[in-house]
Amino acid sequence: MAGVLFEDIFNVKDIDPEGKKFDRVSRLHCESESFKMDLILDINSWLYPMELGDKFRLVLATTLREDGYPDSGDWNPQGLETEGSRADSFEYVMSGKVYRIEGDEASLEPSSRLAAYVSFGGLLMRLQGDANNLHSFEVDQQMYLLMKKIFM
Amino acid sequence: MPKEQYRETDVTRQISHLSFGVESSESMQQQSHIHVVAKNLYNQDIGRTPVPYGVLDKRLGTNSKDSPCQTCGKNISECVGHFGYIDLELPVFHVGYFRSIITLLQSICKKCSHVLLEDIDKAQYRFRLTNPNLNYMTKKTIRKKINDKCKKITKCPHCKARNGFVKKMTAAKGSTNNTILKIVHEIFNEKDKEKLMEKLSNRFNSAIENNPEIQSALSNSVNEILTPIDVLKIFERIPESDIPLLAMDCDKSHPKDLIFTRILVPPVSIRPSVVSDIKAGTNEDDLTMKQSEIIFINDVIKKHKLSGASVNMYQEGWDFLQLQTALYINSELSGVPMNMMPKKPGRGLVQRLKGKQGRFRGNLSGKRVDFSSRTVISPDPNLEIDQVGVPVQIAKILTFPERVIRANIGLMRQLIINGPDKWPGANYVQQKGSAFKKYLKYGSREKLAQELKLGDIVERHLYDNDVVLFNRQPSLHKLSIMAHRAKIHYHRTFRFNECVCNPYNADFDGDEMNLHLPQTEEAKAEALILMGNKSNLVTPRNGELLIAATQDFLTGAYLLTKKDTFLDISRASQLAATLLAGKDANINIDLPEPCIIKPRKLWSGKQILSLIFKPNKSVGVLANLEAKGKAYTKNREMCVKDSYVLIRNSQLLAGTLDKGHLGSGGKGGNIFYVILRDFGQEFAIKSMWRLARMTSSYLMNSGFSIGIGDVTPGEGLIRRKNALLTSGYQKCEEYIKQMSQGKLQCQPGFSAEETLEAIMLKELSVIREHAGQACVAELPQTNSPLIMALSGSKGSFINISQMIACVGQQALNGKRVPDGFNDRSLPHFQHYSKTPDAKGFVENSFYSGLTPTEFFFHTMGGREGLVDTAVKTAETGYMQRRLVKSLEDLVVHYDASVRNAEGDIVQLTYGGDGLDPADMEGKDCPVDLERVLAHVRAKCPYRNEVPLNGDQIKRATKAFLDTGALTECSEDFRQELSKFMDQVAKRVNQVLKRFGYFSVVKEIERLTCSQLVTFLETCNLKYVRSIIEPGTAVGALAAQSIGEPGTQMTLKTFHFAGVASMNITQGVPRIKEIINAARSISTPIINASLVDDSDPKFAREVKGRIERTTLGEISTYIDDVYTKTDTFLLVQLDYERIKLLKLEVNVNTVVHSILTTSKLKLKPGDVVVQSDTIITIHPNKSQNSRRLNFVLSELKDQLPNVVVKGLPTVNRAVIAREDRGGKTTYHLCVEGNNLREVMATYGVDGRKTFSNNIMEVYQTLGIEAARQTIMSEIKQVMENHGMSVDYRHIMLLAAQMTHTGEVLGITRQGLSKMKQSVLNLASVSDSSQLNPSIEIK
Repeated sequence: MAGVLFEDIFNVKDIDPEGKKFDRVSRLHCESESFKMDLILDINSWLYPMELGDKFRLVLATTLREDGYPDSGDWNPQGLETEGSRADSFEYVMSGKVYRIEGDEASLEPSSRLAAYVSFGGLLMRLQGDANNLHSFEVDQQMYLLMKKIFM
Repeated sequence: MPKEQYRETDVTRQISHLSFGVESSESMQQQSHIHVVAKNLYNQDIGRTPVPYGVLDKRLGTNSKDSPCQTCGKNISECVGHFGYIDLELPVFHVGYFRSIITLLQSICKKCSHVLLEDIDKAQYRFRLTNPNLNYMTKKTIRKKINDKCKKITKCPHCKARNGFVKKMTAAKGSTNNTILKIVHEIFNEKDKEKLMEKLSNRFNSAIENNPEIQSALSNSVNEILTPIDVLKIFERIPESDIPLLAMDCDKSHPKDLIFTRILVPPVSIRPSVVSDIKAGTNEDDLTMKQSEIIFINDVIKKHKLSGASVNMYQEGWDFLQLQTALYINSELSGVPMNMMPKKPGRGLVQRLKGKQGRFRGNLSGKRVDFSSRTVISPDPNLEIDQVGVPVQIAKILTFPERVIRANIGLMRQLIINGPDKWPGANYVQQKGSAFKKYLKYGSREKLAQELKLGDIVERHLYDNDVVLFNRQPSLHKLSIMAHRAKIHYHRTFRFNECVCNPYNADFDGDEMNLHLPQTEEAKAEALILMGNKSNLVTPRNGELLIAATQDFLTGAYLLTKKDTFLDISRASQLAATLLAGKDANINIDLPEPCIIKPRKLWSGKQILSLIFKPNKSVGVLANLEAKGKAYTKNREMCVKDSYVLIRNSQLLAGTLDKGHLGSGGKGGNIFYVILRDFGQEFAIKSMWRLARMTSSYLMNSGFSIGIGDVTPGEGLIRRKNALLTSGYQKCEEYIKQMSQGKLQCQPGFSAEETLEAIMLKELSVIREHAGQACVAELPQTNSPLIMALSGSKGSFINISQMIACVGQQALNGKRVPDGFNDRSLPHFQHYSKTPDAKGFVENSFYSGLTPTEFFFHTMGGREGLVDTAVKTAETGYMQRRLVKSLEDLVVHYDASVRNAEGDIVQLTYGGDGLDPADMEGKDCPVDLERVLAHVRAKCPYRNEVPLNGDQIKRATKAFLDTGALTECSEDFRQELSKFMDQVAKRVNQVLKRFGYFSVVKEIERLTCSQLVTFLETCNLKYVRSIIEPGTAVGALAAQSIGEPGTQMTLKTFHFAGVASMNITQGVPRIKEIINAARSISTPIINASLVDDSDPKFAREVKGRIERTTLGEISTYIDDVYTKTDTFLLVQLDYERIKLLKLEVNVNTVVHSILTTSKLKLKPGDVVVQSDTIITIHPNKSQNSRRLNFVLSELKDQLPNVVVKGLPTVNRAVIAREDRGGKTTYHLCVEGNNLREVMATYGVDGRKTFSNNIMEVYQTLGIEAARQTIMSEIKQVMENHGMSVDYRHIMLLAAQMTHTGEVLGITRQGLSKMKQSVLNLASVSDSSQLNPSIEIK
């Protein structure tokens, strides 16, 4: 799976903890199962409603091409439909940019928790956790978020 | 004919000086052509020819087209006119010189005409006055000194004659005598008057016997009246060697010329006769009429002389002549007796010069111009920021003289063929070498077009992209008139983008604006660069953005960038396509990848809005911004309300845009400001225009309106409001109850009533505030007023709350509504009612409707607002004018100093650092280092470079600074820069220490070598760019920057000086006080620090030493005691109270205070100390034996006012408590004057004691302290009104007020001490007050 930076299964722990401020957007607070990563993610709740306790698989990739080659850079309206795409196997896909990587501000002693921030056109994501899991993240990197609910 | 573009070099000349003098009667005759004698104007013949030797004689110039001048033979347009003169039968005083004549007379002996000084003094003064380098001000002071000295001398040192005081004659009570323009010489003072009177009248005894008529002529006063004849004789005899002592120059003017014996008749061209159509004859100018009247009286006097008329008649004629000549010069003379008053006031010579319409201000400083137009304005978001829409009707009239060259001959031919009626066309053609312009309306235009040659001039119509000047009155600052590019349209109004409303302060409720067309290429180029509105996006007042998005653009941008705004491909493309207009009609737009790809392709509004900064890859704008929004909560961009804006490389990553990011007023937090500073004005106005187009198109499509539903409160809101009201009312009732029971805790320095008012007002205004908060919480996100308030486009939360919930407390003068009836505000309420509704609290909303009383209270508040604005405009207008007039000549020179027109240095370096306020990106510094660093990091990633560690950063910075790349920057700036880099290095090291062993860590605080160099170079560039250009009119900018915000200040506001009960004047009145350098200000306050500021007891002791305490305050009683043998006053001191107040007073000091109060006239023996608390006062019996009773009661009245402790000038001293960081400190606020004594009081820390009275600071601490006070006081007022003004402007004003070494106000008097140039002064103030003639070299 070339081009994939991160993959895990998340549990939705909380939705809009400070109250629903926007009609069509919800903020999910999730926790991952294997890497114990904290995730804050804004999603369009009208297109892809989520409920408390939902479980989903989340993939962060730098390209949507199955072969892992980077995208051409420009967006091509026709492009995706014709070729085979990684998106095909997911329900909810967003594209955005990594804009900041920072350390945990709260504690002063050496720790290894870092946070990566991604903006999907204003829908924000914060992935926080062990630095090892964020090792190939770069600022200004193109980022795709792919999601699929898992039913048990 | 256009102005010649090319000018010869080396032809500029500097005028070294102008000199004024007094016209002597000889020179009047020399420059005249005729001696005017005839009083009639016209002959009684058919042609109505002017009488020869009359005031309209044809030799004085010509007034009509058909008759050439009889003196020079030229016609009306060429002849400048010629003077004549009138010989007066009797000399008269010149009104303008009247005061000077009196001062001269005061300085000389009325007998021998020598200056009343000893020879030694004379020699000394003469020596000082002959110094050729003496400037006007010192000369004036020497003259004043001589005059003062002479006034005291009663005996002439030369001829020993007696000299008294000379003054203007004042009307005795009940006398009908004419006293105007008469001088009396009081030879004897009042004391010897009676004795001398007898002696004097005896001298005339024999004369009266012979001629009883003399009796009436003899005045019963010993004072001598100095007639013009007397004065003339005295002046003529002044020895030549004494004239310099009178500060006159005998080469230019002699004192005797101050008296009229002959007057000039000005040419008829300045006083034309107007042939009236309605009635027969002509209308004559006031000057002509006065002249002929003077000749008439002259004739009468001559007749009297010949016929030997009575003294009285003779005197009457003389008085009349005096009056008429005076009125001829100044028709607004005061003190003219009723019977002599002219029926209609004419226009004298002074009136022609004076005032707004006068020669100086109306015709020399400002003129009417051609090529201007005016019409109504309307908005047009489709026009670019630097464009202005011009109606085609105007475009056909405003023309530009274009010279035909090879490149434009084809176009010019076409324009000529189009002619004046078809746009674009031309109105006139002027062929090369001919002085005659051909009008293109008639005749064969084709033929003219064919004949057009290179070098001809075509007056072509205004067309697109011509540079025009656009202006709206009142032109309060330089941004009120700016250059735009014209865009001709077929409507009837001027149009421009709403973003430009701000600098003009324009709205579209019927405003009109003016447009001017510069007439030369030079002027156009200059206007475009210096006045172009894209060069003036930023105000020089504080360097903030002034031209920026407003109103609907903000609403639209807010809605478009909300987190849940998503657009499908059609809507997204449609919005993106709105950018394709004007010059950009054919650009590529790179639509970004949709942020949601599955289940459906959707773009967020933020992605589409980002296109306005960078529509495609070829646009190099990579703007970066990180700023909080209006509703910011916490956690930076993770803010739940999405109110933290993050723009990275022109991509809006997070945050909803509001006024702070798009609107005017911002600096680093404003995206357009960032683009302007980092990428230039072209890109800034382009993005602004794109925003205007995109947001208005978005709003038009999505719709935005307001209706009754938007202001209808929901049930929850009503409940919350009612709860608020009941709890608020309850509290108020509680307070009222407390107060009636006397339980209310008073605030320091307040009475119980005042305390109640203060807390009630606070309580009630809280209700409205909370109601507003409730509204915001309860209203849905789609509520239109709420959206407008949140985006900052219009209205505030208070406005919403007033519409929906509660209008709130109405305030008049900062207080609750006062009583308009007996003990109540309106007759609807109980007497003495203090309840909220009786004092103007409006609990209803505009939606629910106001009750009649509420409505009435609301109108009262509204009226105050209206009156306030009306008063304030007039007030600030005059203030602005004075500021501009006093500062207008200050210019930055090439040595970075600021000098005035005379070359005096006002500031050694402009603002202390020589930087331009308009280029300040940070707070008072040219670079916002943090922002620039973030910008450089984002803009130039240098992905392949290895980031530096902390030490490398430090070393690299030092190395770069040592290369000398930043030599143009100041030392301070370089130090600041390396300090900043040290901080960055520290941060980097910290990060490395914590996360050093991971590879991702490179991404945190990443700074590569190239980035560092780019950063430092950028800082250098920004600094160098901000150095002020020599030649900048910093004075005018400072005046405008201080004056213009004045118009926005509300007139009456008070501010608490640390203590609630102590108000200090603020707003326009305070600014006025400061710049007038007023001697006594309305609220003088001294802020005194204490040596020990932690002890409240100590503070009270010092307070006791300063505050004025009277005997009445510390005595239990003062009683008069009558016994059989003695009567006295008994004073009992209240020791309890003295102790309580911590006063350092005892019986002995009280006695001392009583004795030193001179008014009481008590002697040491009169006051007897009986015990520690009792004093008796025994007034002197022998002296007052007859009226002892009265003396006693008088004393009883006065004793309580004896000041026993403290400073008499201090009304009150209040201890102010300050809690800072858990530590409580105390200091004193002293209401009153006398800084000197307060500083010297034991316990006061004089080094940290300040007064807000500038004049007092000047007298106590000197000029530099005064300058500092002016600066800090103005700054404080501005800050209190939320106005930010760069400190450099205030500093310059303070420097100008103090640069002479004394504090000079920006008033007429102060100005005349600041400036020496007569012309400068004449343009400022009333020119009649000036007496330029005598003193000026």
